[in-house]
Amino acid sequence: MKQLRWKDFSLVSKIVIEVGMIAVLLFAMNMLFYVRINNSMQKMDNVYASNAELTELSQVFEKVQDNMYKYLKVKNSQTLLDYYQNEAKYRNELEKLNEDNINDPVKLLERNIRKMSETYLDCTAETVAAKRGRNVEQYKRKYDDATKLYRYIQSSIDELNNLMFQENSSTYAVLRAVMRYLEISNSVIMIIIVAGGMLLLIQATRNMFVPLSNMAETAQLVGQGNFHVKMHDTDAQDELGTVTRAFNTMVENLDLYMARTKASMEKEQQMMERELLMENHLKEAQLKYLQSQINPHFLFNSLNAGAQLAMMEDAEQTGIFVEKMADFFRYNVKKGQEDATLGEELEAVDNYIYILNVRFAGDIHFSKEVDESLENVRMPSMILQPVVENAVNHGIRDIEWEGKIHLTVTGDADYIRISVKDNGKGMTQEQIEGVLSGNREHRNEEGDSTGIGMNNVISRLELYYEESGLMEINSEGEGKGTEAVIYIPVHEN
Amino acid sequence: MKKKRTKLLVFFALAGILVLFYMIGESYCEGLSRGSSLEEKNEVMCKYKYDMIVDSPNSSFWQAVYDCAQEWAQKNDAILELRGSGRESDYSKLDYMNMSIASNSDGIILQYSGEQGLEAKINEAVQKGIPVVTVMGDAVHSKRQSFVGVSDYQLGSAYGEKVAEYVTEDTESILILLKKNIDDMNQSQIYTQISNAAQAKAGSLQNIQITGKNLRLTGTFETEEAVTDIFQQRDKIPDILVCMDEETTECARQAVLDFNLAGKVTIIGYYSSEDILTAVEKGVISVTCDVDTEQLGRYSIEALTAYQKDGRTNSYYNVDINFLDKNAVREMRRKGVSG
Repeated sequence: MKQLRWKDFSLVSKIVIEVGMIAVLLFAMNMLFYVRINNSMQKMDNVYASNAELTELSQVFEKVQDNMYKYLKVKNSQTLLDYYQNEAKYRNELEKLNEDNINDPVKLLERNIRKMSETYLDCTAETVAAKRGRNVEQYKRKYDDATKLYRYIQSSIDELNNLMFQENSSTYAVLRAVMRYLEISNSVIMIIIVAGGMLLLIQATRNMFVPLSNMAETAQLVGQGNFHVKMHDTDAQDELGTVTRAFNTMVENLDLYMARTKASMEKEQQMMERELLMENHLKEAQLKYLQSQINPHFLFNSLNAGAQLAMMEDAEQTGIFVEKMADFFRYNVKKGQEDATLGEELEAVDNYIYILNVRFAGDIHFSKEVDESLENVRMPSMILQPVVENAVNHGIRDIEWEGKIHLTVTGDADYIRISVKDNGKGMTQEQIEGVLSGNREHRNEEGDSTGIGMNNVISRLELYYEESGLMEINSEGEGKGTEAVIYIPVHEN
Repeated sequence: MKKKRTKLLVFFALAGILVLFYMIGESYCEGLSRGSSLEEKNEVMCKYKYDMIVDSPNSSFWQAVYDCAQEWAQKNDAILELRGSGRESDYSKLDYMNMSIASNSDGIILQYSGEQGLEAKINEAVQKGIPVVTVMGDAVHSKRQSFVGVSDYQLGSAYGEKVAEYVTEDTESILILLKKNIDDMNQSQIYTQISNAAQAKAGSLQNIQITGKNLRLTGTFETEEAVTDIFQQRDKIPDILVCMDEETTECARQAVLDFNLAGKVTIIGYYSSEDILTAVEKGVISVTCDVDTEQLGRYSIEALTAYQKDGRTNSYYNVDINFLDKNAVREMRRKGVSG
């Protein structure tokens, strides 16, 4: 069974219980006072009861004497009956009096009255008997005796009455003092209880409202944006407990939402930054082209015109060369702004090699091995050509032996692997790291380049695929050639 | 948690103090209301109840006797009631005897002064099985069980001796104040004894007038008036005044002072109340007869107890008497102070 705890009661119940308890306490106190005062009142009532009883005794006694006298005067059966009744009554009353020898004036007097009364009653009985027996002399004598005793008893009763009155008066005075004490003590107790009750009530109410004011403060802090403040955890089942827990949950959730919103905003920011960066790189690449080719359209048109002229003059070789040049530059200009297919990239590489071979009289032995099913895969433009250009410029140029470049495109489930391998000078590990980290620029050879550096290529690849490590450069050392490998993630397509 | 416990502790402590306060108050209240009847709670129940009937129960002499007798009564499982001590009533000793008989007393101590019918009452009481002991005055012809006191003869000869001591050549008259229910002074042993002793001292040549006056009481303040009367008759003021009870002695002392006769009238008093002793010390009263009140009280109770136990008792208990003059009183006081 669940334990009944004070903090689990609802606020209304708590207030009702507290106020109720104080009310019950006050009521109980009132009852107590009532009983105490009532007791004293009863005692006061009883004070003079003994006097009243004695007076009654005296009255009955008088009647006995009276009835006897009347009977002696007029022999009447009614008075005789009255006499017997009163005599019995008087005997009953006498039973209440003390009959022992006790050394107390009142008790002693009671004893005397009782004994004398017994003698008196014997005497009256004899008197009445004598009267009935018409023994005139005896009843007269007995009547005298009885009357004498009557006087003694009556005066004794008076004396007893007096004594009792004195005693009772002192008792009465004491009871008055008791009443006075009761008055004072009742007031003191009442004041104490009321004050104590008020204190308890104040304390209890404060206990009830302390969590509320705490909550108000905490809520203010939360309102100012501090989500790490919390109310003390409670397991109370009252309204305050519920509100406290709800408040804590609310603050937690607020914190959580804020964190999520912040994260998504950061992500968005990151994305925006990335896009901006990519655009920058492209812009940079384009700028390089524009710098080197001030008016590409004019150049294409001129080159086309040159190609037609060569055809007309039957200089077929020249014509093809000029045409390939035109294609190459057109691709550069056109694809500078968008992505391209792998096939288009490969075509650009072919054109570039053709141009170079014309320039360098077929010194570059270029071969490729392409999985043709991958030719339609889309990828950022102007990636392969700069890599091949790099292999030409830094790999096989100025070598003693025959320079070869081999391009391989293979694919698996995750990546398309594009490898550009030369048998040129090779690279040291430092050089490789320098190129991959983008620190090393080959500015000195810019004049003969198409203008796009390796770091630009790497950056664009990473931005495009949001993945790093997409380019790999392997070399076994100086004079042992270099292999640049580009990984194109398949899932993007 | 600790704070809560402290609070709880304080709360309970306060409640405890309140309860304690209430209980103390209540018991105080109870004590107060019981206090009044507490004195009577010291009640002793006794087997016997004796009555003491004397002429002037409120006099210090009889009070002293009563105190002693009561003490002895308590030791012998009895209580003693001094009749007529508490009320201003005009009951005679006869009435009190009636009351005692009617209330089935277990014994009566009676000062017999020869009232008419009293002997018959004594006989009636004895007949009803109530033993009667007479004190100071004996009802010789009644059926009383015992007499405690000084016999008239004894008292008379003792007084006679004292009177004789004070009889000088100038002594002309001696007045003896008695309270006896007798018609002729010559019936009184006291009177005759004193008279004889005084005459013997004076011898046949000197003629001393010896008178006895019976101050038989018929009403209140009678004694005072009678004594004052004596002193108002200038030529009849006695040289020696013999008082045979406490009241008369005190009245005589006052009269001597009022009439400026101190030293001129020799008073031979009775009993040793504080006033009388002071008077003796100052020489207003020449000598006073001191009856041993303790013996008187004790013997009375002894007589009654003996009768209740054995059915019989000594018929006569003698009580010592002792005369105190100025020197004796001073001696007594000195002892009283130092002791």
